[in-house]
Amino acid sequence: MSADRFLMLNRRQMLAGGMSLLAATPGFVAEGFAADAAPSRVVCLDYGLASTLLAFGVKPLAVAALADWDKWVEEPRMPPGVIDLGSSWEVNFELLIALKPDLILSTAYNDPLNPRLAEVAPLYRANVYVPGATNILDASYGATRDLGKAMRMEDKAEAFLAEADQFFDACRDRLARHNVPPLALVNFMDPRHVRVYTAPGLYHDVLQRLGLANAWKKPGDYWGFELIGIESLASVTDPRARLIAFEPVPSDVMPALATSPLWQALPMAKSDRFTVLPSTLMFGMVVEAMRFARLLTDYLDAHP
Amino acid sequence: MSLTSHAGPSLVTVLLVGLGVLLAWHGIAPILARPELQGYDADYVVLYNATLPRLAMALICGGALALSGALFQQVLRNPLASPTTLGVSAGANLAIVLALLLSPGLIGWGRDLVALVGSTLAACLVLLMGLRRGFSPFSLVMAGLVVSLWCGALSSVLVLLNERYLVSLFIWGAGSLSQQSWTPTLSLLPKVGLAAVASALLLRPLALIELGEAGATALGVKTSHLRAMAIALAVLLAAFVTSAVGVIGFIGLVAPTLARLTGARRSGALLFWSTLIGAGLLFFADSALLLLADKVNDMLPTGAVTALFGSPLLLVLLPLLKTRHRVMVERALRPRQIGSPGRVLLLGFIGAMAVVALALLFGRSVTGGWAFLSPSLYGDILPLRFPRVLAAFASGSMLAAAGLILQRLTGNEMASPEVLGISAGATLGVTIAVFVVADPNLGEQLGFAATGSLAVLAIIFLFAARSGLAPERVLLAGIALSAMVDAVVGVLAASGDPRASFLMRWMSGSTYNVTMTGAVSVAVIAVILLFAAGLLRRWLDLLPLGPSAAGALGVPLASARLLLLLLAGALSGAATLTVGPLSFVGLMAPHLAREVGLTRAGPQTIGAVLIGGMLMTMADFLGRTIVHPYEIAAGLVSALIGAPVLILLMRRRA
Repeated sequence: MSADRFLMLNRRQMLAGGMSLLAATPGFVAEGFAADAAPSRVVCLDYGLASTLLAFGVKPLAVAALADWDKWVEEPRMPPGVIDLGSSWEVNFELLIALKPDLILSTAYNDPLNPRLAEVAPLYRANVYVPGATNILDASYGATRDLGKAMRMEDKAEAFLAEADQFFDACRDRLARHNVPPLALVNFMDPRHVRVYTAPGLYHDVLQRLGLANAWKKPGDYWGFELIGIESLASVTDPRARLIAFEPVPSDVMPALATSPLWQALPMAKSDRFTVLPSTLMFGMVVEAMRFARLLTDYLDAHP
Repeated sequence: MSLTSHAGPSLVTVLLVGLGVLLAWHGIAPILARPELQGYDADYVVLYNATLPRLAMALICGGALALSGALFQQVLRNPLASPTTLGVSAGANLAIVLALLLSPGLIGWGRDLVALVGSTLAACLVLLMGLRRGFSPFSLVMAGLVVSLWCGALSSVLVLLNERYLVSLFIWGAGSLSQQSWTPTLSLLPKVGLAAVASALLLRPLALIELGEAGATALGVKTSHLRAMAIALAVLLAAFVTSAVGVIGFIGLVAPTLARLTGARRSGALLFWSTLIGAGLLFFADSALLLLADKVNDMLPTGAVTALFGSPLLLVLLPLLKTRHRVMVERALRPRQIGSPGRVLLLGFIGAMAVVALALLFGRSVTGGWAFLSPSLYGDILPLRFPRVLAAFASGSMLAAAGLILQRLTGNEMASPEVLGISAGATLGVTIAVFVVADPNLGEQLGFAATGSLAVLAIIFLFAARSGLAPERVLLAGIALSAMVDAVVGVLAASGDPRASFLMRWMSGSTYNVTMTGAVSVAVIAVILLFAAGLLRRWLDLLPLGPSAAGALGVPLASARLLLLLLAGALSGAATLTVGPLSFVGLMAPHLAREVGLTRAGPQTIGAVLIGGMLMTMADFLGRTIVHPYEIAAGLVSALIGAPVLILLMRRRA
């Protein structure tokens, strides 16, 4: 199942900068939007869009790859009763047709499927992760506004983005006091390899938004990462640079690193400069960016 | 005499190691040019703990794989034997993938053991299948590659189902030599060293095998024990390497070949020089990759790259193989007689209709329960199911016919579209498509796939034409191409290229994207081609008697082979477009048809076509429903079910 994400394609790892924000959004109710003829039977093929929908206070009818939501998305929780639509690359059409949706939320990633989906119901296509993208965070803002239009909730979208801006500004202010060194952001693939996040990418663009520097300078693909051997981390020359890894860390990684002289010698890997933070979806949208910013700011604030 | 026979191999070794040192020095010299800084010096730390152990690792792994290949080749007297071609590496890979997914804790201490179990099982399977053909070089490699393909298919299902771990599995499957300490190198060295010493002890008795089975036995050498020991050592060496760095393709084939070509003849010389050349070869390849990795941004996994350059060697080696057409022996075990062929076929037809009806009308309801489709939903749901069922049935039928033609043509029961390379050609076409066109639509995919199949078919014919289209050569050429396509996808997947996910999905063979137009086209093509196959049934009856007998009975050999190969190519090409390059239906269906008593070409073809269609329809049905609302591709389902069934069938007949 969920054949889709299987490479880095895990855009949907998720999450929600803000449970807090979500709770603060007025009218977070499960159903009942028929009043202004807004779409009420919305199915969603992307985690980033689904979390944004939740932030608007809308409960989707069905979400693709829902089975893995809890694995990748720690917050927000998906309310009960949402239906699993199958993998986002192979949406179950029998199910989709039976659900009679009035809006389908899809992304450029699903382009091969979009023409067929559009025959079932009106389709909104988000355009965040595409070749040639320069700033993923800006693109996510744009996609959120567009989603607001599609949902006839422009006000909610603007309110949400305003709150996101305030949130990022607050994080930036908190961090400005600390003179934070450049950060290298990685996911461990196995004991010998990491995926390092770079520009353009959601993580990288959030770093910029918060006034922080990415220690990894080489550009990556449009998903915003590069796969490297751990020894390549030594090419980060800034002696103050810090290393931040994200869950999940495979179980054999730490024991292997403990015996690696290279890792032991790596300045970034010293215990006061290296940490592992909870997983966040690196291929998400604004909600994910906020969760990432919150985790990072909280950590850096507590460990300046 | 002995001096000249060592001159060639030593020259190659010196050349490879020299070039490797030169390339490595190019990277290292600038660092050594300045004194090491006090405290932390990143360049020196990397040099001491990453670059140097990596180069040492390349030497050890290269030597071990080459020695393993040389042992296999000596003992099996088969110039194509190697850890890669015998499925040993793929077996180890599958075992480790399984262990990583099911019990990650096991990997901590038992990676070697897990790899060893996997490669031993794969080797036993391949040798058991080969044993039945008296270790004929060709059928052994064929069995090995089928096992490889199957292990690969299973690995990809596991990976597709567990995408979270996927990237690391890919890196591992593609063989990366990247190191961060001396620990893995130092733990591998004594293991490989011991195995090498043990191989040296086998040298003298091994040399006696060269005298031939009878000669060796006369001199008091128990050849069977000796072979078993040598094979065990070869498996052990390959497993050690695979468990340390992953699958490094084709070094075990290339190095012994180079040793032989440059003049190493006797067992001792061959084992010795193969080891050194293998070490030099991987050392050189990896030094080059290290340099290249600095220039390009993507990580290049060494194992997949060596496979990319090593697999074409199979093509070059083909003429070395003594192929001999085997007369297909009628089974000593008489097929069960269920009834007259007519009755059997009628039963088959009814069965096929029942399967199709079931696939159309039975399935999962909206709530996920099993249910027959309510007539009120026919209008909504049948247009979704019908194209998939039709395409699956047509493709299964075509694969079955292609398999039957190839088996009768080659007299080899392991022949099937998977190993013909047509499918690999289609995959290659689609691979090119994702690079040329960013998001190829279905029409573009079909165009590229068809072009790829045709190109491969043309290449295969060019290569095989010189040998008078000897079918076994044709099949091996196909295998070489399949291995190359695998390597390309491996490189992409390990570097995390998003296009790899598209390719993997394409290769898994799902009917998900089949439209009504597509399904009807496939069905029409199937009907035309199957009709053509029916017209050629006389040749199919006579060819298994062997070239001379068939020729005497009036079969125009060259043109018959050409036509039948073209037909098999067209059949498998058209089927691959819908159900992917790997399904084993083409392998299974003809055997099952014979099992139920259909032995003559005509009835066997019809039976195989019905069975093939049924199998693929069932596979598609299971794939659509079993993990609802998710799907498993029909091609993968049938490969997973098909391979073990086939092995059972063949064991029973042994």
